[in-house]
Amino acid sequence: MQQFIDEFKLNFIDQNRYQYILEGLKNTIIISLLAVVVGIAIGFLVAIIRSNHDKTGHMKIANALCKVYLTVIRGTPTMIQLLIIYYVIFASVNVPKLVVAFIAFGLNSGAYVAEIVRSGIMAVDHGQFEAGRSLGLNYKQTMRYIIMPQAFKNVLPALGNEFIVLLKETSISGYIGLTDLTHGGDIIRGITFSAMMPLLAVALIYLILVMGLSYCMERLERRLRVNER
Amino acid sequence: MNDNVLIEVRDLHKGFGEHQVLKGIDTKICQGEVVAIIGPSGCGKSTFLRSLNLLEQPTSGSVIFEGKEITAPGTDVDRIRQKIGMVFQQFNLFANMNIRDNITLAPVKLGLMTKEEAEKRAKELLERVGLPDKADAYPAMLSGGQKQRVAIARALAMNPDVMLFDEPTSALDPEMVGEVLGIMKELARDGMTMVVVTHEMGFAREVASRVMFIDEGVIREENTPQEFFAQPKNPRLQEFLSKVL
Repeated sequence: MQQFIDEFKLNFIDQNRYQYILEGLKNTIIISLLAVVVGIAIGFLVAIIRSNHDKTGHMKIANALCKVYLTVIRGTPTMIQLLIIYYVIFASVNVPKLVVAFIAFGLNSGAYVAEIVRSGIMAVDHGQFEAGRSLGLNYKQTMRYIIMPQAFKNVLPALGNEFIVLLKETSISGYIGLTDLTHGGDIIRGITFSAMMPLLAVALIYLILVMGLSYCMERLERRLRVNER
Repeated sequence: MNDNVLIEVRDLHKGFGEHQVLKGIDTKICQGEVVAIIGPSGCGKSTFLRSLNLLEQPTSGSVIFEGKEITAPGTDVDRIRQKIGMVFQQFNLFANMNIRDNITLAPVKLGLMTKEEAEKRAKELLERVGLPDKADAYPAMLSGGQKQRVAIARALAMNPDVMLFDEPTSALDPEMVGEVLGIMKELARDGMTMVVVTHEMGFAREVASRVMFIDEGVIREENTPQEFFAQPKNPRLQEFLSKVL
């Protein structure tokens, strides 16, 4: 027991080392939140363009661009994308690492969100679409009032899953020298040469974050399900 | 039959790839008519009906609605569809909305009524179809027959000039067919122009002013229900009637 307390003191209390964890947690949360917003924005845009093309045959060029985006993003590792964006694309401009990170993770997540949302749109019965159009609603109105609300509800569980993946994926931010939660723990480990405490602490914090996120998604799901008796 | 032509169809063709479904349909539908369309499955009767509001884009030929060729390029199809109500076999009520919103959505979003006017109209229509207490229910809570009655109310909320019915009772349990046909009968009595694809020979005989037999993509025979059922001339129709009656 005494050994545990000593370890704890060494890793977190001495010289206020817990602040590495706090700093990292703050950055992890900021990156994740902003990346989710970017990912949703890109994802919905791409999904709407792609399903518009599938349904009407319009927007050929935009659809082709979307396909290139999806192929490249889904076909390469997230870490390589992060490194390329930091060391190649933003090499000559001085952009804060935090910004680089949330753009990289947002761009990455957007591809997965896009395919999730598109599957949700396709899962809505085509009759819903026809009923909307038969009443004189145009394509956009039908999508907005009838298809998208149902698609969104369909994909909520998958979307929640994607957010969890995204949150954990930010743990590679250390590769561009950004102190996220994982990197914060690593710094402590480097100073104290004690691996267990910092790593367990970091793991526990990720776990709590993910559980909180899951809880929120579950509540949202339940709220949206009122209309299914 | 009066001369007030509402819909005119000229040499309508529709193919899906190699497969020709409609091979030249010509007909006129006049105001106040109730036209029942019957025929074997896969004969093109639903495709024909869906061509009337361009849910199917014809391959060639034209549809003229209230004097305007709606198959012409550049037609504002959404505007035309506001005047053509449609009821589907699978009801297609909007699953994400309650019954009131199902009925009021289109008139409100299209700027034809205020929210208050539309809700008042929805209330009247729900009374008319015998479901005054279902305004707050969601489609998933209703039986098939109730859903179809709501679907009829939803189409009527747009004050259409014609109503298209695509096998409106085919997905219903037998004991619910009557309640939907009853509403349709009332509509017909009130003078609504209706085009009904149906397997209900009783309805065709009793309510229709004209019955049309489509087979292999063409109209084989059309006549008043009395003549149509008593003295079918086309051999394919004779064969068909002998199977279904």
